[in-house]
Amino acid sequence: MFALVDVNNMYVSCERVFRPSLNGRPVVVLSNNDGACIARSNEAKDLGVQMAQPWFEVRHLERSAGLVALSANFELYGDMSSRMMSLAAAYAPRQEVYSIDECFLDFSGVACDRAETGRDLRRKVLQWTGLPTSIGFGPTKTLAKLANHVAKTADRRPGSYSPALAQVCDFGALGAAELDEVMRRTDVAAVWGVGRKTAPRLQQAGIRTVLDLKRADAASLGRQFSVLMQKTVLELQGTACLEMDDAPAPNRQIMCSRSFGSPVTELPDLIEVVSGFASRVAQRLREQRGVAGAVQVFIATSPHRRHDRQHAPSAPLPLPRPSADTRELVSAAVRALRGIYLPGYRYAKAGVMLAELQGEKQAQGSQDLFDEPVVLQPDGRRNLMDTMDALNERFGRDAVVIGSAARPAGPSAHASRQERRSPRYTTRLDEIVVATA
Amino acid sequence: MLRERSAGAASAPRTRVAISFGSPASESGVTRLDLNEILVRHPQAAFLMRITGSAMREAGIEDGDLALVDRAADASHGQVVIAVHGDEFLSRRLCRRGDGLGLQATAPAVPEIWATADLGVDVWGVVTHVIRPVSS
Repeated sequence: MFALVDVNNMYVSCERVFRPSLNGRPVVVLSNNDGACIARSNEAKDLGVQMAQPWFEVRHLERSAGLVALSANFELYGDMSSRMMSLAAAYAPRQEVYSIDECFLDFSGVACDRAETGRDLRRKVLQWTGLPTSIGFGPTKTLAKLANHVAKTADRRPGSYSPALAQVCDFGALGAAELDEVMRRTDVAAVWGVGRKTAPRLQQAGIRTVLDLKRADAASLGRQFSVLMQKTVLELQGTACLEMDDAPAPNRQIMCSRSFGSPVTELPDLIEVVSGFASRVAQRLREQRGVAGAVQVFIATSPHRRHDRQHAPSAPLPLPRPSADTRELVSAAVRALRGIYLPGYRYAKAGVMLAELQGEKQAQGSQDLFDEPVVLQPDGRRNLMDTMDALNERFGRDAVVIGSAARPAGPSAHASRQERRSPRYTTRLDEIVVATA
Repeated sequence: MLRERSAGAASAPRTRVAISFGSPASESGVTRLDLNEILVRHPQAAFLMRITGSAMREAGIEDGDLALVDRAADASHGQVVIAVHGDEFLSRRLCRRGDGLGLQATAPAVPEIWATADLGVDVWGVVTHVIRPVSS
C-alpha cells in the first residue's frame, strides 16, 4: 500500500505560518522571472486566478478583492519542505520525495490502521510545522495520487465527495462499489499521467470519468495512446506497475503553450515567452529521461479579434542531434521563432512543442555508422542540466533560467521583486519573526 | 546560531532530505556536547524568534533576546508561549480558565488579553529557552 502526502497550496501555506493575517484571504505567490502566479490559496482559486496566469492579468483583484501577491521565497519553502519530509519519513519504511511539497510513503508489509496513521501524520505535520496536508492511500501509486486528490477536493468543496474522505482518504478501506462511485464522480483529467493534451482525446473516445478509464481495455488504449496509458489503466485497476522511485514512462510529445491576456506585438517579448516555454518543456523532457529530435514553435493571432490581421505560423525545426539540453532547445526554439515572426501582427498565443521523443538509452543504442553520434555529455552538459533541474526542483520552477527567458532587470521589476518577498524566517538570523513581549 | 540537524537527534528519522551536514562523532570516538541536542528536542518543530519589549522580564525574557520556540509541545496553563493575536506575535504567559484562553504579561501595567469571538488567541508555540549575550 502506498500513501501520497501532499501539502495543500504549499507556498501559500508556508507564508501563512509566519503571517497568520493571510489566513482566509486570497493569496498568490509569483515566480520571480515572469510575474506569473505559481501558487494560489483556495480563496484566490475561487476568485478565478489560474495556475501560471500572468500577474498583470489579475493585478486588479488587489484592489477589488483584497488579493495579496508575494514574490516566491524559495529558501523558506525549501526549509519548510525538509521539515515536513523528515516528519513524514518516520511513518513508513520507505519514502520517495517526489517534489518540494509531496512524497510517496511505501507501507508495504506494515500492519496499521491506515486512516488513523494518516490522521496522526496530518495532525503532527500541522502542529509541528503549521503546514496543512492531504493524504491518500492506495494499492498503487496512481491510486494513492487519486486518493490524495479526493482527500483534498472533499475538504475544499464539501459535497463533492463523502465528508468521510476529506483530508485523509484510504482507498484500501472502500468497498469495490464505493470506490467505483468515487471514480465515477472524478474527471479523468485528475488521473496522474493524464495530461491536458491527453484528457480531451480520452473524452473524444468516450472516456470522461476515472471509472470509464479504469473499465477501458488497457492493451488497446496502450496501442492507441502509449505504454504509459496502459500502465495507468492497470494501476487504476489495482495492478502496481510503478515501484518506488519510478515515474510514468515518456510521453510522445511535450508541449507548453498559452494564450496571452493582451496581445503581444514585439519580438523581444515573444522571445522571452518562447524561451520560458522551451525551458519548461526541456525540464519535463529530462524528468522523463528523454531526448527530443525536433522543436516546433507556433505563434498565432486571435481569430476572435476579427479586425486584426490574422497570422498563425508554425515552424518545425529538426535538431542536429537528439537533445535534452535546455540551451540547445531554447536556442532552436528562438531560431524557429525568428523565422516565423512578422512585425505588425497582434499575437495572442504562443507554444513550444518537442517532438520525435525517445528515451535517453534508446537514443544511445540506436546510433549506427552513418548517424551523427549521440553525445549526451559533451563538456559536462548533462551535469549542468541536472544541476539546473535540481536547483529548480529545490527552489521552485524558474529559479534558474536560460538568459533569454529572464526578464531584463529593470529598476521597477527589481524593486517590486524585493518589495513582495517575505522574510526568510527560518534561514536568516536577521529575518526571523519578531515577537512582542 | 542554532542549526537543526537530523543526524544528531536520536529520534530523527532517516530521510533523503538533509537538514544540515556534519558528523556528530569525532575521530576519537567520543561525541562533543552539542547545543542542538541539548536545547532542541524537536528539530522539525524548532523556530527562532527575536523578542522586543520588556513586558515579560519577570519570566526571564528581556528585550532583544533570541527565543527558541517549540511547536511540538502542547501549551499548558502558565507556560510562556508565542501567541498570535490579530496580526501580532506576542510572548506571554498562557492562561486557561474554563473554555477561555488568555494571555498575561508579567509586567502588571500590561493588560490581559482574552480571546473573543471577533479576535481569537492562537498559540503558535512554546518558548523553551532564551539566548542572550552576557555583557561585560
